[in-house]
Amino acid sequence: MKPPTMRAVRAYLPFATGGLQSLLQYRSMFVITGMTAAAGAAVTVFLWRAVYADTPADGGPGGFTLTGITTYLLVAQVLQVLHTNRVDDEVAAEVYRGDVAVMLVRPVSYPLVRFFASLPVVAANAVLVAVPVLVLFALLVPLTVPRPGDVALFALSTVFSVLIAFCVNLLTGMTGFVTTNTWGVRMVKQSVVAFFAGQLVPIALMPQPLAALARWLPFRGMVDGPLTLLLGRYDGAAGALQVLVQQVGWVLGLGAVCAVLWRAALGRLEVLGG
Amino acid sequence: MSAWSTAARYARLSWFLGGVGLHRLTAYRLDFLLGAGAFLVRVGVQTAVVGLVFRQVPVVGGWSYHEVVFLLGFSLLPRGLDHLFTDQLWELSRKLVQRGEFYRHLVRPVSPLFSLLSERFLHPDGFGELIVGAALVGWSGSHLDLDLTATQWALAPLFVLCGALIHSAVKLLFASLSFWTVTSLPAMYAANQVSEFTSYPLDIYHPTLRALLTWVLPFAFTSYVPCTYLLTGDTGLVVWLPVVTAGAVALALAVWRRGLTIHDTTGS
Repeated sequence: MKPPTMRAVRAYLPFATGGLQSLLQYRSMFVITGMTAAAGAAVTVFLWRAVYADTPADGGPGGFTLTGITTYLLVAQVLQVLHTNRVDDEVAAEVYRGDVAVMLVRPVSYPLVRFFASLPVVAANAVLVAVPVLVLFALLVPLTVPRPGDVALFALSTVFSVLIAFCVNLLTGMTGFVTTNTWGVRMVKQSVVAFFAGQLVPIALMPQPLAALARWLPFRGMVDGPLTLLLGRYDGAAGALQVLVQQVGWVLGLGAVCAVLWRAALGRLEVLGG
Repeated sequence: MSAWSTAARYARLSWFLGGVGLHRLTAYRLDFLLGAGAFLVRVGVQTAVVGLVFRQVPVVGGWSYHEVVFLLGFSLLPRGLDHLFTDQLWELSRKLVQRGEFYRHLVRPVSPLFSLLSERFLHPDGFGELIVGAALVGWSGSHLDLDLTATQWALAPLFVLCGALIHSAVKLLFASLSFWTVTSLPAMYAANQVSEFTSYPLDIYHPTLRALLTWVLPFAFTSYVPCTYLLTGDTGLVVWLPVVTAGAVALALAVWRRGLTIHDTTGS
């Protein structure tokens, strides 16, 4: 007999392959994600490059050099592409249409189904959007080459950032239980997350109270955390560990919040039959 | 006489349908507030980013803090005016041709374009953009001690109108592509993303990008060019504004008409 976790994963694997199949029907989504990412990266990169144009070689504001800040903002946009897992749209839409009821009669957990279905979306976004955007900009502007050890830390940290993004998007989608204008909620989430994750402005460049708030919020682990590791902007092994521990803490914390709120939401779900 | 009465008829219809649009607001009050609030958060974050940029340096690409806020606010005005009237073009590009729902605009006793657009006049989000944009322009203008000449005052509303027409023309062009490609949402979305560049001074961008924004997708004429004129009096590019607006509208209408002639709908 197989260990129970293996059996559990096998039960959800079809949802991952199903997600992959439905992706093939939404190929235009990748064009949209790609254009958004490229345009977004261009705006922030050019804006901050104008600020850092005359900085000395040993670093300007926040200790960033011109290539350093360029790398930060570009990879921040790439991470954002990996966080575009469509969980918020799909959960909101399924709650709104009542399709969620069909899922509830199956002997599986709906949040876990969504998680497995989002994995191929993340993988496809990484291959079809993130890599081309990164290559495009690498041809246009000089970037920092990170140390191999930092790249490994960054890779691990990116996995945690994807998990945090899943929880945040699931919570956003669950607002569909309360309001029908999830478009507005999603737009608020997008702006707030982009700002406090440090995607538009590195947290090191924010004024003190704002930076303290941003460091405390979970969104920091989505962009600023992984980039702190990639660019070697941490204080020894303890500093790197602290970033990772904070991320894991938020993954567990947000996961628990999702589980509790999901149960509470099911209590008030009403779906009309038809 | 007939041109007169046609114009009067369209004006009467617009007035009436605008009222219908406003009535929708009262039916979906929470949704309206959420949409307006979301918009405020978005512009708030954008303004905060500009503020944080100017904590580091006094001037970016030759523009001061208040000048950039002026540009950011001004860019919302034509966008808002366009948003009030042409939001339905998104529906055309997304699904009307694909689902065979477009034919209903061909059988009504008004121009198909008017019929399409008038399905949703006075979109509430447009009001949000106009109000926030005007507030930002007023606030930064008073900090800049901006002293406009009588000509500039007279031209400013025309700049907003021309900018809105450019936005509408680009949207119409890309939405019309759906007559050939069934759905043109990615193309239209991409064009809309490009318009986001105009919230900041074009001087910070790569020259190729600047040329693209000026002469290919002429979004520079919706905010950067008029703002340069209003802030510095430099008339370099602003004289091209009427030409570019007329050209963009003419091209978009030509593509739209061509699209109508080749449009085939599913029968059922």
